[in-house]
Amino acid sequence: MDKKLGVYICACGGNISDYVDIEKVREAVKDEDCVLLARTTMFACGDSNQKEMEKDIQENNLSGIVVASCSPKLHLTTFRSVSERAGLNKYNYVHANIREQASWAHSGNKQGATEKAIHLVKAAIAKARFAKSLEPTRIKSQKSVAIIGAGVAGIKASIALSNMGDNVYLIERENKIGGKLASLGKVFPGNITGEDMIARLNEEVKNEDRITLLTSTKIKECSGNIGDFRIRLQDNIETGEPAVSEREINVGSILVATGFESYTPSEGEYGYKEIDNVITLPEFRDLIKNGKEGKELVFKNRKIRDIAFIYCVGSRQIKGENKYCSRYCCSAAIQSSLDIKERFGDVQVYHFTKGVRTYGSQELKYAEASRSGDIFIQFPDKDEPVVSSEKGVTLIKAKDILSAKKEIEAAVDLVVLVTGMVPDSDKSVGSLLKLPRGRDNFFNEIHMKLRPVETVIDGITIAGTCQGPKGVMESVNSALSAAVKTHSFVSKGELELSPIVAYTDVKTCEWCGACSEACPYNAISKSEEDGKVVAIVNKTTCKGCGMCLPVCDSDSIELTSFTNNEIESMIEILAN
Amino acid sequence: MQIRTKLKFDALVVGGGIAGGEAALNLANNGYKVAIIEKELSIGGKMILLSKVFPTLDCSACITTPKVSEISRHPGITIFTESDVENIEKRGEHNFIAFVKRRPRYVIAEDCTGCQLCEKACPVITKDQFQYNLVGRKAAFIPFSIASPKVAAIDMENCTLCGACEKACPSNCIDFTQEDRFYEIEASTAIIATGFKLYDPANLPRYGGGQYKNVLTSMQMERQLAPTRPFNTILRPGDGKVPDKIAYVLCAGSRDDSAGNPICSQICCMYSIKQAQLLMGALPMADITIYYIDIRAFGKGYDEFYEQAKGMGVKFIKGKIGRISELSNGNLSLRYEDIQSGRIKEAEHDLVVLSVGALANKETPLLFKGIRPDVDKQDFILQGDPILSPAKTTIDGIFVAGTASGPKDIPDSILSAGSAAAEALSYLTR
Repeated sequence: MDKKLGVYICACGGNISDYVDIEKVREAVKDEDCVLLARTTMFACGDSNQKEMEKDIQENNLSGIVVASCSPKLHLTTFRSVSERAGLNKYNYVHANIREQASWAHSGNKQGATEKAIHLVKAAIAKARFAKSLEPTRIKSQKSVAIIGAGVAGIKASIALSNMGDNVYLIERENKIGGKLASLGKVFPGNITGEDMIARLNEEVKNEDRITLLTSTKIKECSGNIGDFRIRLQDNIETGEPAVSEREINVGSILVATGFESYTPSEGEYGYKEIDNVITLPEFRDLIKNGKEGKELVFKNRKIRDIAFIYCVGSRQIKGENKYCSRYCCSAAIQSSLDIKERFGDVQVYHFTKGVRTYGSQELKYAEASRSGDIFIQFPDKDEPVVSSEKGVTLIKAKDILSAKKEIEAAVDLVVLVTGMVPDSDKSVGSLLKLPRGRDNFFNEIHMKLRPVETVIDGITIAGTCQGPKGVMESVNSALSAAVKTHSFVSKGELELSPIVAYTDVKTCEWCGACSEACPYNAISKSEEDGKVVAIVNKTTCKGCGMCLPVCDSDSIELTSFTNNEIESMIEILAN
Repeated sequence: MQIRTKLKFDALVVGGGIAGGEAALNLANNGYKVAIIEKELSIGGKMILLSKVFPTLDCSACITTPKVSEISRHPGITIFTESDVENIEKRGEHNFIAFVKRRPRYVIAEDCTGCQLCEKACPVITKDQFQYNLVGRKAAFIPFSIASPKVAAIDMENCTLCGACEKACPSNCIDFTQEDRFYEIEASTAIIATGFKLYDPANLPRYGGGQYKNVLTSMQMERQLAPTRPFNTILRPGDGKVPDKIAYVLCAGSRDDSAGNPICSQICCMYSIKQAQLLMGALPMADITIYYIDIRAFGKGYDEFYEQAKGMGVKFIKGKIGRISELSNGNLSLRYEDIQSGRIKEAEHDLVVLSVGALANKETPLLFKGIRPDVDKQDFILQGDPILSPAKTTIDGIFVAGTASGPKDIPDSILSAGSAAAEALSYLTR
């Protein structure tokens, strides 16, 4: 073989070199067939090393590189860019993961970790010998976007994208927009109510010519890929009558903003549905909204003088499924307490908390509530308060950490369960788009820290509370972030797709349909080539997942960049 | 006479930390020309100096460097490191002028290969600000090993002009004649991403911050745990002993009127829990205790991360530390109210980490000439329309990203940066 390869072995500032003897790895691979140079480096991803690599490639006219460092999930694109900048087709670069797969996995066995790293690097070199240059598939991208869900996140994203010049389909299953905003009272820190926000957003949506608002509309089918999604919509879902109209829209990107649901306590949870003055926070908000200002707050003909809020209902559960914190509820409960005191005068509020989480300047609201006479009680994590009704009096009993675990008992007129956020119970959008979910059942982003609005499916972004609990301001930030990413998918009108796709050998294929059935993206279809029925892969919808390969009896499918030659040569090294 | 180079961009981003960088990338990826003004010698802000990030425990350097690379190589982004914004003025809609001064590095950046021979040759040793003064560095130095650009600089305040670096430099790039360079930058919009300041522990004499040798700040511990760490293990500075009983004091300069900062800093609980987990790995025999008021583990996966720390054996004690005293062996005695038992207690530790909070950069509004953006009570940039347009300031066309508008963790900073970029894009197309 006439390939000229450069091999780079990264120390990762000790993450690798503390356990893997990288000098030994270099020694072991430097004389492998086709290897022209082999170097170690402190940080392969560092700027200076990237420059070094570019220089090496150009000066030695390298026809391939192997980088042995961390997971390709972190740096695949980094080193592909290095290759491109140096004029080397990026598919001639092969990655070996010697951090997650060697140094971290075998930190207790340095010799073993080093041996494994040597094997992994040699296997990567074997693959690099067969690697071929590939060119991306260029496709046209629709300059329009579908936004699913017209809560605050969906609406703000629509307005932003419309401002940036994209055509937006704003799709909402209800007959009006605004989502959960309507149920919110005053929202921190703007002192603006949910209803006022809806009024303002409605006006803004009306003024945007590029937004097509589709209320009472559901998504029925979705196909295609980034740049060219086709979505079938169904109208009039609420009438129960047969669908009046169906339509198909064609968009370049999809932004999902399907929101959350408030947790519904189970029957008997803190007396819910059993004791008649136990209600949830959203129900309480409705009560405040409908109460008359200045008058006393009345619930079921009873004047409300003492209220208990119980926090973390449906969040941070010890026994239940929801282990997560819903982040918005502490400050929402405190804001509600301040609201009722402002509107209805003298009310005593007891907060039964698991530790108050008013982060940032929400802390000022917590201080304000404390100063105004609210009493905060903290119950132990595993010893929740008990709500009971005795002779028509609702009692709440709890141990209080803040007063050395004293038993506290309060007789109250109303118990408000501060319920957290759970994912929307209608799972249809998620399953139609094949969006992955996390352990908490919210949609999962690509990277929690640095890529919080992108998903593993190219062209689909997630915004607002469908990704995880958020306050309104945080939902808007996430919506606008998703909008700017979505805009970059459609703004140029053209996109480059990965050339790593499956292809069939029409000579040996005897169409049996197994590959087509195995394909999760509907990318393989039956076709006639030279009078013979064969399977053909659509390279714009194929994601290169490889599901079709093992089901082919005649071994007629291959995957570019992962051909049988490449994989077999790697196995040969690893098995020795 | 002062020569000012005139330049024109679509957007100006003040601050090259992770928020400023993300905002700039979002704009540049949509075809706009962006200038980033960074006062330090490298971009990457505080994130590039961190150890690992919560709750994924990704190595921070490993996830920041590709971002930083992408920013520094983007054809649409021009970076001015070691540069100060002298003033920004709004002259009309889509018309902002910034006067920028670029301080000399005394090194010809284009020719420097980052070989560090100047560093070896330099005889002067001074405190290393990028290691938060835990160790020394030379007066001719590379800021840190993953700095971008990875180019040497001469610290003229400490340089003795001995010329050793000049002789050692193989590419002849040391240049003592460099002077300040001045720029007049015209832009159609501006994003403020000036970040936050860490609370100065010297303002907490009752904790001995800055006085007791074995009381560190959380950022110093962050450095000790980072891949580019100053020592190869965890040491207490007083005598170089490997600590085995470490205390974290939460809310050091947060949620405390007496410390001048009544708000919660949002990040300290989580970074302390993360450091505690990393310490359990680095020093398996050590006891680690976190003294807290409330644990604020509110983000995605955070509460689970807190539970994980408890499961690993990190001790959590509810009670704010009242006073720390230094013992003759360098150990520290912590006096606190143990809320769970209602008693005043004393506990001895051999290393104390103050989980210092996030404060506003008070200089930020002063960068503006004429109309200045309003600030809130804590001196953070005031959000003009905080709920529905969180990135808007009180000046049309100027947006705010990241912690300049209040404490934020990394994902919230990234979202806020995306939000600022979206607003700036909308403003640019208006």
